[in-house]
Amino acid sequence: MEARISNTAASSRRFGRRALLGAGVAGGVLGGSRRARTQTKTTITMAVWGAQAEEAAFNAAIAAYQALHPDIAIRLELSGNSTQVYQLVDTRLAGRQAPDIFRIQYQQVGRYAAARALADLGPHVDAAYLTDFAPAFRQAVTYKGRVFAIPHHTDTFALYYNRDMLQKIGVEAPASLAQSWSWQDFLLVARDLKQKAGAPFGFAMSWQNMAAYRWLPFLYQHGGQLLNAELTQPMLAGAAGVETIAWTQSWFKEGLVPPSTSIKSSEQPQNLFANGTIGMLLGGDWQIPFLEKTMTKFGWGVTYMPRDVAMASDLGGNCLAVTRDSKHPEVAADVLKFMASREAMRDFVSRAQFLPVRSSLMGEKLPYALRPEAMQVFVEQSATIPAHLVSTVTMPVFSKINNALGDQLDLAFTSGQDPAATAKAIDAQVQAVLGG
Amino acid sequence: MSGSRTAPGMLGAPTEIRPRVGRRWAGRGQLLVPYIFIAPNVLLFSAFSFLPLLYAVYISLHDWSLIGDAEWLGLHNYLRLGRDPLFWRALSNTLLYALATVPTSMALGLLLALALNRRLPGRSLLRSIYFMPVVVSAVATGTIAAWLFNDNYGVINTLLVHLGIGRIAWLSTPQWALPSLAIATLWVRLGFNMIVYLAALQSIPSLYYEAARIDGASALRQFRHITVPLLTPATFLLLILNIIHSFQVFDLIYVMTSGGPGFSTTMLVQYIFKSAFVTSEMGYASAMGVALYALILGFTIVQWRASRQAENVM
Repeated sequence: MEARISNTAASSRRFGRRALLGAGVAGGVLGGSRRARTQTKTTITMAVWGAQAEEAAFNAAIAAYQALHPDIAIRLELSGNSTQVYQLVDTRLAGRQAPDIFRIQYQQVGRYAAARALADLGPHVDAAYLTDFAPAFRQAVTYKGRVFAIPHHTDTFALYYNRDMLQKIGVEAPASLAQSWSWQDFLLVARDLKQKAGAPFGFAMSWQNMAAYRWLPFLYQHGGQLLNAELTQPMLAGAAGVETIAWTQSWFKEGLVPPSTSIKSSEQPQNLFANGTIGMLLGGDWQIPFLEKTMTKFGWGVTYMPRDVAMASDLGGNCLAVTRDSKHPEVAADVLKFMASREAMRDFVSRAQFLPVRSSLMGEKLPYALRPEAMQVFVEQSATIPAHLVSTVTMPVFSKINNALGDQLDLAFTSGQDPAATAKAIDAQVQAVLGG
Repeated sequence: MSGSRTAPGMLGAPTEIRPRVGRRWAGRGQLLVPYIFIAPNVLLFSAFSFLPLLYAVYISLHDWSLIGDAEWLGLHNYLRLGRDPLFWRALSNTLLYALATVPTSMALGLLLALALNRRLPGRSLLRSIYFMPVVVSAVATGTIAAWLFNDNYGVINTLLVHLGIGRIAWLSTPQWALPSLAIATLWVRLGFNMIVYLAALQSIPSLYYEAARIDGASALRQFRHITVPLLTPATFLLLILNIIHSFQVFDLIYVMTSGGPGFSTTMLVQYIFKSAFVTSEMGYASAMGVALYALILGFTIVQWRASRQAENVM
């Protein structure tokens, strides 16, 4: 009996051990399957640049997408500026390890598409999805009839002014696009700000770090253009081009702008506006969060860009593209479609102070986090971006043209190079880039 | 092994052969030791310097945008160097920058080392302060220098205004941009030169100075006839390192002027970077890189030979 009991006890212990072992194996299998499920979670990398407000807006969009798709993780790789992102993406493309998605300026889509570095979004995005985007932006993301990016937002330039200083000289800022200052009026105000309002300089333009393409709106305002209608020949050496160079050069010659604010400089002109060194700033809508935070000693407002024979402003903003190295182009394209959806776009532009690129959002009053009245000026100004300017800056070779433009304009502004010689040098370099 | 050893004169041929084999292997082992020691360095140097250098030579024969396909160009990029005025401008800027910074930073480094080699209160602290910019990232020192030299709110201009001198457009006029960079470079390089000279000064036996003093040599003669000749190896080392540094300068200029105004501070490495990452001409950038490599190699060989001759003379 004792033996039987003992046997039973032994058997019971064996059973217990087996049961525990079985449970362990089962647990392991179950746990393993849970792990396997976790491991199959698709990770999408997304390289962007941006200030705090943009980072927060991207993170909000990512959180919203991940809430809808728990099996997908999006890893945001944040850099300080666009140059750093292009350098990172280019290097990783060369090593076949590019991120799945990256933020890209409209001006750069052609260059990447021509080098076959971007995934063709045609198989993932149907034509109906794109119909709501404004034609200029659809054109900017299309290369040889195929779509390589999805427009995400835009920005443009307007004129910030120091309200206290303007009051001091008894000048009122234009209240509508139709009343925007002429070139002559604008310079008169700049001179008054310098002479009577205590500003060391009248104004500055935000085109530092080689954003030379931001000079182009002045050329269009004066009735000129960089290339002919077919985009095959440079035409800056004509009267409009030379006069526009001379006009912008006069800002520096006359001391109306700080000498440190030329195109190659790394000066941050919004700092100069915030601390009262300049009375006006030709700048973009993305600078609002910075000014709201730092410009505490002066009141400020936003009015329209000056104009000459025409009105014009800059094509800014960015789209999102999928790289050729993406292991999950379908998922990446789906993320893009979500980020550029009506609701996500409305949320992003409202948080980060940008302008929408969907026609259905353009007429809508958006819940901007900061200065909605100032944003309205940018919205109205964006209607003045010339179509030919869009075609020019979205050419695949535009980065080389921009480089020639920046090098030569900087020589005109900082070394006094003759405007006619500057225009001629730019034309020669552009001709070489175009292969003439 | 100890059991196999046989006393001399004892019988047993195998026991006599084994030690020979062992010695041979031991000898070979000893020969291998230096190679084992240098192997990590050789491997890392090959992986991160020599092979990339060979690859740069290969790329320099192509038209490659980094993101697209490469196209064979042969020597076209090298021929283009000869007729590119910006390349020659960047080269002359680089030589000018080297001329402005190398002798001055070495002379000031020596003066500082002589001063801080004496018994001074707070000597260690002063040495640390002068050496600080060497260990701080070049981008950080560049950012600090950019703030110091800022035309509008920089510390230097604020001081000049207080002194009644007025503002100088340090970084935005071609005539002042290069001097500003040279001053910032002196600040950065001074500490390194000082430390090398300090180490060299401390290795000179005090015996020589004592003998010279007994013979009635003045401090200046002691410096001229003892210190300067015995510092020659350190001077040659610093000369080579400073010239290489001046030829390869990038971070400081990238942060302070980005090569402007105009092309007044565009150095060779700036132009290489711009060609590689702004205009996407990786082949042309590599050709310039190879040219820079040849230039530095040439300078180093000349200086090395000069230093050998100087040593032989001594």
